[in-house]
Amino acid sequence: MSAVGRLGYLGGRMPGRPDPGRRRIVAMAGLVTTALLVVVCQLWYLQVLEGGRFQEASEKNRIRVRPIAAPRGILFDRNGLPLVDNRPAFTLSLIPRELDRDPVQRDVTLGRLASLLQIPFAELQDAVARVSPDSILPVRVRRGLSIDEVARVEEWKLELPGVIVEVEPQRAYPTSRFAAHLLGYVREASDDQLKQGRYRRGDMVGQTGLERLLDEFLRGKDGGERIEVDAMGRQIRLIQSTEPHPGAQVVTTIDRRVQEAAERAMEGKAGAVVVMDPRNGDVLAMVSTPAFEIDRFTGSIDRNAWLRVMQDPNHPLLNRTIQSQYPPGSVFKMVVTAAGLQEGTLVPSDRVNCTGEFHLGNWTFKDWKKEGHGSVDLMRGIRDSCDIFFYNAGLKVGAPAIAKYATAFGFSTLTGIELGGEKPGLIPQPRFSRRGRPASWHAGETVNMSIGQGAVLVTPMQVARFMSAIANGGVLWKPRLVQRIERPEKGVVWGDAGSVNGHVELSPMVWAFLRQALWAVVNDGGTGAAARIAGLDIAGKTGTAQTIANSKSSKGQDHAWFAAFAPVKDPEVVVVVLVERGGHGGEAAAPIARQIFNTIFLEKVAAVEIRG
Amino acid sequence: MTFGIDRRLLQNVDWPLLGATVSLVTLSATTLATLNVGRAGGGIALRQIAWFGLGIVALTIVASIDYRRLVRAAPMLYLAGLGVLVTVFALGRTVSGARRWLMVGPLSVQPSELFKLCFVLMVVWLLSTRWAQPVNKTVLVVAAPLAIVPAALIVKQPDLGTALLLFPVLIALLIAAGMRLRILGGLVLAGLAAAPPVWLALKDYQRDRILVFLDPFRDPLGRAYNVIQAKIAIGSGQLLGKGVAGATQSRLSFLPERHTDFIFAVFAETWGFVGCLVLLTCYALLLLRGFDIAASTREPVGRLVALGVTALVATQVLVNVGMVTGLIPVVGIPLPFMSYGGSSMVVSMMALGLLLSVRMRQFQ
Repeated sequence: MSAVGRLGYLGGRMPGRPDPGRRRIVAMAGLVTTALLVVVCQLWYLQVLEGGRFQEASEKNRIRVRPIAAPRGILFDRNGLPLVDNRPAFTLSLIPRELDRDPVQRDVTLGRLASLLQIPFAELQDAVARVSPDSILPVRVRRGLSIDEVARVEEWKLELPGVIVEVEPQRAYPTSRFAAHLLGYVREASDDQLKQGRYRRGDMVGQTGLERLLDEFLRGKDGGERIEVDAMGRQIRLIQSTEPHPGAQVVTTIDRRVQEAAERAMEGKAGAVVVMDPRNGDVLAMVSTPAFEIDRFTGSIDRNAWLRVMQDPNHPLLNRTIQSQYPPGSVFKMVVTAAGLQEGTLVPSDRVNCTGEFHLGNWTFKDWKKEGHGSVDLMRGIRDSCDIFFYNAGLKVGAPAIAKYATAFGFSTLTGIELGGEKPGLIPQPRFSRRGRPASWHAGETVNMSIGQGAVLVTPMQVARFMSAIANGGVLWKPRLVQRIERPEKGVVWGDAGSVNGHVELSPMVWAFLRQALWAVVNDGGTGAAARIAGLDIAGKTGTAQTIANSKSSKGQDHAWFAAFAPVKDPEVVVVVLVERGGHGGEAAAPIARQIFNTIFLEKVAAVEIRG
Repeated sequence: MTFGIDRRLLQNVDWPLLGATVSLVTLSATTLATLNVGRAGGGIALRQIAWFGLGIVALTIVASIDYRRLVRAAPMLYLAGLGVLVTVFALGRTVSGARRWLMVGPLSVQPSELFKLCFVLMVVWLLSTRWAQPVNKTVLVVAAPLAIVPAALIVKQPDLGTALLLFPVLIALLIAAGMRLRILGGLVLAGLAAAPPVWLALKDYQRDRILVFLDPFRDPLGRAYNVIQAKIAIGSGQLLGKGVAGATQSRLSFLPERHTDFIFAVFAETWGFVGCLVLLTCYALLLLRGFDIAASTREPVGRLVALGVTALVATQVLVNVGMVTGLIPVVGIPLPFMSYGGSSMVVSMMALGLLLSVRMRQFQ
């Protein structure tokens, strides 16, 4: 170590010379000595001056800690109606410290408890084994005890040392499956979540939906009491108490009335409904069916029930509004129309004679109506959803333009809704070779694309945003679910004024044409006639999407779409309905949309009448 | 080669230092023997003595190697240590939510303990290169990441106590190496100035955690319990202690972590204020010998090694005792030589080995 020989401050000291490094080390030694003396003073204070008091405290030391769970914040709909509430529930807990230290005695207690409440013995043992035997914090074993079960535990209390029943607030829902995907379920923190260090064992954590998204706000701050108990476990004295702080209140954009109506309308069907305000992107309802029983997930769900849900072939946990991708079917014809009109490759007076068949090379593409529609112009093509017309139109407009407009309308990109797991969908993008012709792209793919088939995939939420853009003249709103979050003492702690994530520029003539055509679909004997409500101008488009998978369902394998808005003049609401394997959009989906429009507008009309 | 111990070196062994250590370990073993810890029951006193035996071997080996060789190897040791920390991060064993242990055969080893020594050697290596003369701001900028990077890895385990330990040691070494105090003062001021914006950038739950850290009584179900119980245990020991039979607080296991981080409270309950004075005197003796070795060593590398090691032990002792007596917030740091734990014991003994190594070669 030759470098070390000659070091400025460190080296080069001559014997007898003052040594500044030494001075500093002596100073540090002095500092440490002083610190040790401070400790001695503290010990003198604790042991000699206050010793008697602590002596007394140690003699009757039987302290129990009683956590008081903070009630979770409540989610409200846009009119102040609660979407979810809390109610007190009984929880069975074990206090490791107060269980018998002798393993045999402890197992006797646990065995007694197991037979008393029909809880698997192994489950109790697991619960105890997971935590230190010194822990004074209760370990929650089972939530949601019935009154009867509570009575049984209380009756045997003396034979069950270390077993207590706590009262905790628990989530309560209007109905068992109400807005299950939107709200999401709340469950005890999993081992993985505990590892992140943000939660304590036994904490209730939002696992999906808004409960998870807003968990940080919704979870309050738990309080607790430190009490002194006698040998029987009765409270002698309250030593210290910290009030729990309830979680923040969330005002969502949901309209509970609409949500309930949409759920009612979808009962017994698999599919999705999105109701959106095209003026600001507010999501008024979000329904995915089949739904899971959200209240059962909150409490102690047994293994079999859990597996039944997980392995259900209908995937009830899937939020179909944003996590499932479907071919849009004829709804997509509006994209082709917009692209063609704006680019000038399509004019309203274009005519095609629909015979029910369309030939391209060796391929034959059929219309959904076997006998054909006869002579069809653009307006009729949309109104009657003529496939042959759009096969021709698609080839005229071209796949690149269709893809460009589809992307502009927000397909194949996330809507940005804040719920997790959103899927982007897919718009096939023809790639170009050097000569400007699409490479490895077959004209048949363009044909398929023009009626929303082939590789095109969308989510119901994307369709709602698309319909909103047609209704509002091209603004793509980011779907908004949460208006604001309020804390009781602090007021609004978080707010979302809504944000735009895209614009589609079309000439006013094109917008007007699109709306006119959509109006005709419903009100001029088009495919959406089943959605017609007298006195309300609804505009919409049906879609019947063929799926690749073979299905043995009696209704066939087509997904039914209906995407609509109303009133046409000044659109306030967009309703998108998708019924999986529902058959024709006009027959399966349009009536559901009608029911929802009915709830929204007719009841409102009634209310106005009363006031007037 | 200075491998193996020649007679001249043996003459310079620091017997008071070793005497204090043996006393501490004796106190540790007797205290542990009174505790009935864990489901397996007793036996930890014997195991602690076995660890001490292993520690003696480690001490002898370290002392017999010339510390300059170790300092020269420091960059390698440091990088290896970092590698092991990353390994722990990736595939360590999890005990009650913390990932601090690596399985080596049947033993679980806590690499962050061993890393502390690598860290001391590394900083000494840096400060004694020709490049680092004089020790100025640039050196500080280079030295800071040496502590920050491993600290971040250790915090993630999570082991906040050990991570925070690195910084006082770094500062002590910088001071001893001649860094101008004004620069360090400026650093402290800059840190204080940075606090408010950082505070505002934190999320609610993160702020909560810091507040609970500073004031455990905010969280009545968490750390405050340990502090209260430790205080009751210590206080009820009074002047002369309750003796082994009377130490109910500890025996009835009201005190959590009583054989590891909170062992001082058990000792204080059993032997009272007088016992504590004896214990603290042993530590004072040990630490002052360490400072003395540093001060009296004229060879700069040896001086820094001795000081770094002494600062390491001193910080652990002060933080642990301060925490158990309620003077400072609770940080999980074991009390060297007293707390039960193999890694801690062996590493503390190796630290002494370094000290002896410097001492024995002081007058070469």
